[in-house]
Amino acid sequence: MNGKSAKKVKNTIIGIPVNLVLIVLALLVLIPIIWMTFSAFKPEKEIISWPPTFIPAVLTFQNFADVQDRINIVRYILNSVIYAGGTTLLAVIINSMAGYAYAFYEFKGKTGLFLMTLATMMVPFQVIMVPLFLVVFKMGMYDTYWGLIIPRVAVAGSIFMMRAAFSGIPKELAEAARIDGLSEYGIFWRIMMPQVKPAVITLIILSINGSWNDLLWPMIVTSSTEMRTLANGLALFVGQNTIEYGAAFAGALISLLPMFALYMVGQKYFVEGMAGAGLKG
Amino acid sequence: MKEIIRYWNKPSRSAYVFLAPSIILLTLFSVIPLLIAFALSLFDVPITMDSATFIGIENFVEAFSDSRFLNSLKVTAIFTLLEVPLQVFGALVIAAFITKNNMKNKFLRAVYFLPVICSATAIGIMWKMILHSNIGFVTAVLQTMGLGKINFLNTPGLTIFVVSFISIWRSFGISAIIYVTAIQQVSGSLYEAAEMDGAGRIRQFFHITVPSIRPTFWYILMTRFAGALQIFDIIYITTNGGPNYTTESTVSYIYAKAFSSRSSMGYASAMSVVLFVIIMAATVIMYRKMNEEG
Repeated sequence: MNGKSAKKVKNTIIGIPVNLVLIVLALLVLIPIIWMTFSAFKPEKEIISWPPTFIPAVLTFQNFADVQDRINIVRYILNSVIYAGGTTLLAVIINSMAGYAYAFYEFKGKTGLFLMTLATMMVPFQVIMVPLFLVVFKMGMYDTYWGLIIPRVAVAGSIFMMRAAFSGIPKELAEAARIDGLSEYGIFWRIMMPQVKPAVITLIILSINGSWNDLLWPMIVTSSTEMRTLANGLALFVGQNTIEYGAAFAGALISLLPMFALYMVGQKYFVEGMAGAGLKG
Repeated sequence: MKEIIRYWNKPSRSAYVFLAPSIILLTLFSVIPLLIAFALSLFDVPITMDSATFIGIENFVEAFSDSRFLNSLKVTAIFTLLEVPLQVFGALVIAAFITKNNMKNKFLRAVYFLPVICSATAIGIMWKMILHSNIGFVTAVLQTMGLGKINFLNTPGLTIFVVSFISIWRSFGISAIIYVTAIQQVSGSLYEAAEMDGAGRIRQFFHITVPSIRPTFWYILMTRFAGALQIFDIIYITTNGGPNYTTESTVSYIYAKAFSSRSSMGYASAMSVVLFVIIMAATVIMYRKMNEEG
């Protein structure tokens, strides 16, 4: 046996247990998700029967009707869409504008403003949640969509991501557009924004995902049943002691599906957006 | 109107227009709240929130003799010490095995990443049910193996481990993917040279991979650490601090103190300030260590 094939044998010997562990890990991730998905279509009686089934013996859509019956989930979905959509739309515009300014302009106070923006990254949300609630309350935005959305729009991390994206564009492009008579705002919106499309898509995807899944902020800043978001409303639903399991499964599945769809189309952006921050250190 | 537009169209001026919204929002909803948190911690604020009495450091004195607060610090510390090392080192080992861009690894990466995009609510519901002591799938599996029923989410001493596990389950994928991206950027010639020298894969991992991705390692360590110290949502859904406060983290307690029917904003702010100091201290210490390594 020559050295190469000996190595190959050695690699397969190591490879088998390693692959086994990797597969077990994958199953550990998948089984709960699949089990929950299946359970959403089981009748309540089957869910609470012993021993529990994995694959539904009887298929039903009753749980989806039940969850609407108990917590008006359609309203919660609508609120989540408004929260995620509103936050994302404003976040894209405002954080891009800021990132563009830091990348393309020289102006008085640039360093100071930049440092302030940087410093806000160090402020953990959980530390300021109490006063943040007070600010929103005193501004009269408590239990409104504005209160939900506005405080979550400007994000230092997003500003840095957009700044990095804009930094890659040659300054001459702006000069040429200026000579063509475009205003500063026209240059930004019509020339520059299309250049950073991948960064914008990343920002959109992360922002939608973040606000769709956000639990703490909607819990703090809304109080009425009509204002609850999906993550928040479901959490309160399963927090009660007399919960209906089928309805809870159905609700959880409904909350996951849009994110799975988003992940299917934008896996690349998810990974780049979330991993990107860790690589520029 | 035209004059105004022309005035603000000068590049040095338009920069301020571009920056104004984000600066205003960050000031209003980040800088000012942080300052208020510090100020508020020195006041007694009644539930009605219409007045505040200055009481100096009394909130802090109370906090450090409040056994529920001290307990919450302990729970947070246990959680952090369970979650962070497992996450930071475990994900690195996993990443080393799924770095190559083949079909199998791409599939595994996509699977490991799935929980990252799920809401804490859905994850909480999922695990609450799967671990349920009467209807749970895990309970059924344990019984067929001849083991007894375990009340995973309601056993003092055990539940904190279960909650930590769920939290790791939720986020190890993102750490692994960040590592994978970093390892892929390590120059292939380094590995080739090591191969020539006869270094095996394990030696290559410790002598090339690990030193090359140091910055990424520190980044994950610091963000995970800060994140673990702020653990809230998984706990809120699965145990809400129970049984008997054995899983009540500091943020859980702050939340309960600030937003319950017997709300005490000043006291909650004081605890927030303590947490802030702990997070900052941990971050600064790690940052120094990182720079020492160079």
